[in-house]
Amino acid sequence: MKQLDRYTCEEAFRRLDDYLDRELSPSDMARMQEHLETCAGCAREFAFEASVLDGVKRKLRYLDMPSDVLARLTAAIAQQRHGSNEAGGA
Amino acid sequence: MTDLSVPALDKTRGASHLDQTTARASPPEAAEFEALLLAVLAPAYGYALRLTRHRADAEDLVQEASLLACGGSHTFQVGTNFKAWFFRILVRCFYARHRAAQRRPQTVELDDTPDIYLYGNSIRNGLPSSGDDPASILIDRLGTERVVEAISQLPIEYGVVCTLYFMEDFAYHEIADVLDVPLGTVRSRLHRGRKMLQKVLWHMAQEAGVISAMTRPERQPS
Repeated sequence: MKQLDRYTCEEAFRRLDDYLDRELSPSDMARMQEHLETCAGCAREFAFEASVLDGVKRKLRYLDMPSDVLARLTAAIAQQRHGSNEAGGA
Repeated sequence: MTDLSVPALDKTRGASHLDQTTARASPPEAAEFEALLLAVLAPAYGYALRLTRHRADAEDLVQEASLLACGGSHTFQVGTNFKAWFFRILVRCFYARHRAAQRRPQTVELDDTPDIYLYGNSIRNGLPSSGDDPASILIDRLGTERVVEAISQLPIEYGVVCTLYFMEDFAYHEIADVLDVPLGTVRSRLHRGRKMLQKVLWHMAQEAGVISAMTRPERQPS
């Protein structure tokens, strides 16, 4: 009966994205981990996929906003809020 | 029952319609709203820059979204996800501008892209599939500019969702909130977007000589 609770490679592969994004239920996460511990082929593919995702995330993140941009945006927001308050108070 | 979700905006009416009202538990005080807004400006600018790829366009986009958000601040409900609420406005502004400009070419064909495209091609071309994190080496050698360029080649609806996913660590349900689409649509677009992205990255790596460099045997010191 225990065998029925385990994922085949095909079932695991179908859940690859959800597994990598931690969108599976705890029980499905556990089944995936159990499969990956016993299937070297899937473990290699999944590790490769995870690394691709992490690599792309690293490349896309960490953009600083220049201080002059922040200053202009802050001023525009303040002006808008000020205008709203005056209109509201008129 | 009180609707605590982000205000539903009519997709067909462009970015300027934030004046719809919904039942709300508690709109924020002005100072509270401004603090929330200022806290998301930096990630919003980063996201806008990745979408538009131009600093001036990104700044314009964030400013437009900020001013619209200020005007519609009464529709935000304290205790809900402000970042998702604001990014929803930002994405709507981006779509509106994109529709007006029609300047994003679609260059990727999806239908023939198999799953785990990079892994499959790496194996077929003799790249190491394990060991010193070959996928990470491949992405690092491609560099940030090519990765950004690759995402810009995706059809817009896939580029928007993939950029949200890769940059902001939003969960699927948060992306669904931002884009105002069902969870299944997010899952499907992410899956297909990743496949397309891997295809583009592979071709870029080939053109840039990254693949041949990685398959070339290292010269032993004499």
